[in-house]
Amino acid sequence: VLNVSDNQEEIVLSPVLKPKEPMIMHPRPSSIVAALYTLRDLSVDVVILHGPPGCSFKHARLLEEDGLRVVTTALDEAGFVFGGHDKLVYVLNKVIEMFNPRSIGIVGTCASMIIGEELHEAVLEVNPDVPVIEVEVHAGYPNNTKGVIITLESALAAGILSEQEFQRQKVLLQEATEVEKRHGAASKEYLEPSRGDMKYTVAKRIIQLLKDGKKGITILNAKKETGYMFADINAAVNFAAEQIGSGSELVNMANLDKELGLKRVRTHALNIASDLEDMGVTVHEIIGGLDEYPVVGDTVSKLISDKYPDFDFAVITGVPHAIPMDCLKGMEIISVTNGPRQVLPLKEMGHDHVIVEIDLHPKTLGVSHIVESEFGATLREMVKEETA
Amino acid sequence: VKQIAIYGKGGIGKSSTASNMAAACADEGYKVTIIGCDPKSDSSITLLRGQRIPTVMELLQQGVDITELDVVFEGYKGVQCVEVGGPEPGIGCAGRGIIVAIKMLQKISSVMADSDLVIYDVPGDIVCGGFAAPIRKGLVKETYVLTSGEYMPLFAANNICKGFARLGTDLHGVICNSRNAQNEEDIVAAFAKELGSEMITFIPRDPIVQTCERAGFSVIEKEPDSEIAKVYRKLARTVMERDTACEPRPLTDKRLRELTE
Repeated sequence: VLNVSDNQEEIVLSPVLKPKEPMIMHPRPSSIVAALYTLRDLSVDVVILHGPPGCSFKHARLLEEDGLRVVTTALDEAGFVFGGHDKLVYVLNKVIEMFNPRSIGIVGTCASMIIGEELHEAVLEVNPDVPVIEVEVHAGYPNNTKGVIITLESALAAGILSEQEFQRQKVLLQEATEVEKRHGAASKEYLEPSRGDMKYTVAKRIIQLLKDGKKGITILNAKKETGYMFADINAAVNFAAEQIGSGSELVNMANLDKELGLKRVRTHALNIASDLEDMGVTVHEIIGGLDEYPVVGDTVSKLISDKYPDFDFAVITGVPHAIPMDCLKGMEIISVTNGPRQVLPLKEMGHDHVIVEIDLHPKTLGVSHIVESEFGATLREMVKEETA
Repeated sequence: VKQIAIYGKGGIGKSSTASNMAAACADEGYKVTIIGCDPKSDSSITLLRGQRIPTVMELLQQGVDITELDVVFEGYKGVQCVEVGGPEPGIGCAGRGIIVAIKMLQKISSVMADSDLVIYDVPGDIVCGGFAAPIRKGLVKETYVLTSGEYMPLFAANNICKGFARLGTDLHGVICNSRNAQNEEDIVAAFAKELGSEMITFIPRDPIVQTCERAGFSVIEKEPDSEIAKVYRKLARTVMERDTACEPRPLTDKRLRELTE
């Protein structure tokens, strides 16, 4: 601290500049939406979005399919000018009366946060006898993981999350942010969306590899509920190998640890694992929990170098860009993503074939069993024709 | 820690009063922090010999990874000075700036917790949610209203009290900064009484204040023996000792006009 009283000279500053983040022009995931999904993962019953009626509409609607009730205070021009406190109090009272929730989330929006709405004041006024998680969030953060962290901090404060789980989640989120910056949708100023390679062509290639008796690894590295559809692809590859029956060795890895993560996430792991078992798929290696998709890289690397160094091809589904390229050297890589903006970065990493399962996420909300994927269906159909 | 804010009509002398109070308290050995919340960022200038310090918002805009050292500067007798800063008039949103800067300060800085007195110097009327942030975030525990005996400053002061009533914040006292209006002391004393509070100090108009400010000093530092310095010292002592407050009862406009007739 500079003491100006003893020093008449100009104050000289040498501020530490943050490492420059590239400005990203394509639309980015919203921190408000991230907060909504996190509240769902925390099994909150009702969420009040404090803001304009249309804010986060698409996701709010989808989350209702997943059992989360979402309502809005529907702030209008008058609300922006005169404040939305009374509306929030009204809606909070109303949801308690209508839904008798066991827990409530209140999520900020750009509009309510800019005008300085204090979510806590409404909670104090209503004084509900169930926990309320107040999330002061807007969509102005470059990384949507910020929305998750703010939500988890509030959940911690509300006593519905343990300190230990909070710290674990924080590490995962920081890593998830890094994964996106390295090889994900945050890696470039602008990424052109793409539908990736033709499913037909890639299915044909997999069939050929299996016919040639090549040794393959399938890796399911899915983010939470998206696993319900990505796992179908891993299962389809297994189905193909079995039908072709040329003795190709297939090893399955999956982030389906049933003991890790929030209860909801553990349930997904359990459901998917038991479906895979029913489909006759053996998961040889558990590489982490369904929320550990950004950190499985080291485990996968070690497994491959220790046990499967001479494999010929890999089919990676979910978050393929979190798997380091070093451990996949010499393998033909087929990856499946649900992000049209993930195609280019995956190709640049050196993946040979990249498939997009478009609109995968909405189809995995509100389900408790594996959902058929387009690529899985294509592959199965082609194998049937092949072996008929 | 005593956490106070001084509100009042723009140009009524909030920054002069705040900085002289800060200097007077520092003279008495108190650890003082002053947080300027005006986008003009001139609350601390007379404690820093006329120098402007980098503001929280301008560093944030430049992408600086802000630490306490970047935004907290030591002024007269160890008074810790912070300026929130904000946009040029007519663009952006100064209110949001206060919210962002205050949250950031809470995270990165310990001066607020380590002080005996923290003074928030808040711009003019509380025109948007952001300007009430120091109160709503629970950082301000005591509020004072500064006014002269003229109708417009009293009108503004009365409005601010409506804001306090709305926010459920008590009023700790009214300070009169004289503009040489007729019967000024009586008018402000009556106004304060009808609010349910009291006038804790009458600061007479004195050109020394202007002279010192122009030179970049507080009265306490440059003219410590002047009569006006004594008034500021008395005000500082009063505020440090004060622990009475009231829920303000704003006057009607008709009553305000009657008072100032």
